[in-house]
Amino acid sequence: MNLMDWHRRIERHTGLLVFGIIAVTSVGGLVQIVPSLFQTSLSTPVAGLEPYPPLALEGRDIYIRESCSVCHSQQVRPLLAEVMRYGATSKAGEFVYDRPFLWGSKRTGPDLHRIGGKYSDAWHRLHFMDPRAVVPSSIMPAYRWLAERDADTGGSIQNRMRALQLLGHPYTDRDIYFAPQRLAGKSELDALIAYLQMLGVSRPEGG
Amino acid sequence: MPELPSSFWGGWIIVLTVGSLLVLVGLVLSVYFFDRQPDDHAEVVWDETLREGNHPAPLWWFWLIVVLLVISVVYLLLYPGLGRYRGTLGWSQGHQLAHSEQRYADEFAAPHATLLGQSLSELAQNHLAMDAALSLFRVHCGTCHGEDAGGVAGYAPNLTDAAWQWGQRDEEILASITAGRQAAMPPWRMALGDDSVTVLADYLKVIGTQAADGPQYEQAAATFAGSCSVCHGASGEGKPALGAPDLTDGYWLYGSSVDDIAHSIARGRQGRMPAHADRLSEVQIRLLAAWLVSRSGSTLPESPIQSVRDK
Repeated sequence: MNLMDWHRRIERHTGLLVFGIIAVTSVGGLVQIVPSLFQTSLSTPVAGLEPYPPLALEGRDIYIRESCSVCHSQQVRPLLAEVMRYGATSKAGEFVYDRPFLWGSKRTGPDLHRIGGKYSDAWHRLHFMDPRAVVPSSIMPAYRWLAERDADTGGSIQNRMRALQLLGHPYTDRDIYFAPQRLAGKSELDALIAYLQMLGVSRPEGG
Repeated sequence: MPELPSSFWGGWIIVLTVGSLLVLVGLVLSVYFFDRQPDDHAEVVWDETLREGNHPAPLWWFWLIVVLLVISVVYLLLYPGLGRYRGTLGWSQGHQLAHSEQRYADEFAAPHATLLGQSLSELAQNHLAMDAALSLFRVHCGTCHGEDAGGVAGYAPNLTDAAWQWGQRDEEILASITAGRQAAMPPWRMALGDDSVTVLADYLKVIGTQAADGPQYEQAAATFAGSCSVCHGASGEGKPALGAPDLTDGYWLYGSSVDDIAHSIARGRQGRMPAHADRLSEVQIRLLAAWLVSRSGSTLPESPIQSVRDK
């Protein structure tokens, strides 16, 4: 029986056809994705990487809510120009406590993966209130309302931390118990700045 | 993926990849070169002769597919793709980056060595170097200090006037950029009380002038001598080694009104210049420092008008 007969048989049996389509389209995933699920170098945190403390975790959720990743990526690619402008190349082990990671795919603004420590908190505060006050040519919108909104959203931070704890983030019960206190009196702006100041600061050795 | 978890997954990738390629080859060959046996039961025939697969696919498709197959085999030999096999070129993203960094370093080794050998004042005379420094400044410094280095009220000092909070000697400017600076003006409200703070702020508006000797400032002058002069100097001239600014030069980073000054005294100030050792090379830092030297004193001290308290 030659291949053309196989073709005919598959074409006339819907079940076989469905199975064939699934088999063929899964090859790419079986080669690219399945082995990487077992690749521990992708899921081992780099030295010094800590899970986000409550305030920064809240800031991360604000980053997601305000869709910052639409205009800012968080991945320094291994290209000379990027390394010279932004800093060391991003490594998989730096994103172990990012669920989901916020690599983004578009740079209307600059990459933010190595923003931590680049500016002082005071700069971020001025910049979020009025980006043009510090960078006259900036097209970034102002985020004034963040300064007026409370970062403490009434205990939901504990639920989020518990969910992450289930997924393997090394939060202790003590961390979770005291989380609302860490948010007390802080604005959403404080939280977002705390998150940005943590980005990319646990640089891998020699990276 | 040379860092695969085990040889099993390496084999898995090789078997699936090579297997897929072989199936593709078989499919192509069967379409072009195997006879079709008419299969009698229920084959659909249109227009008397037109039946499934009776017109061969164009032959240039065949050659196109052959070329693509050859390219994929050559690719899999040269580059990492088959399990743990690294490819004959030994290519990796990391190597490519290291290579381009090396090429960059080699290409500019001579000019960099020349630039590193020059003092800041020599560099400041070098127009090409200063052009480069200006673009560096705009990328790395202008976001805080302003694109013209004029500073931002209440936040980043003007770098074009003659006032240097952390010192204007070459090594002091270089240290400010390399390691950053952390100002530490403590809050004095608890220690001095609100009244004393206001009186002191009034006095600081005139310190360094003859008016400061007036009898109405006697109390403030005593407070200054007791609490402030340790850092800011006996006559308010500042101590660059501590980052304590000159209070007599008329430049007020955090606003020049009595209210602004009183706020600085009452609440303290902790301005921070981030370190740049990890972000800039030594040549870049020296170029920037030289550019600052060349701009220093080019404008008169001018206090920002905008008050940015409690922002």
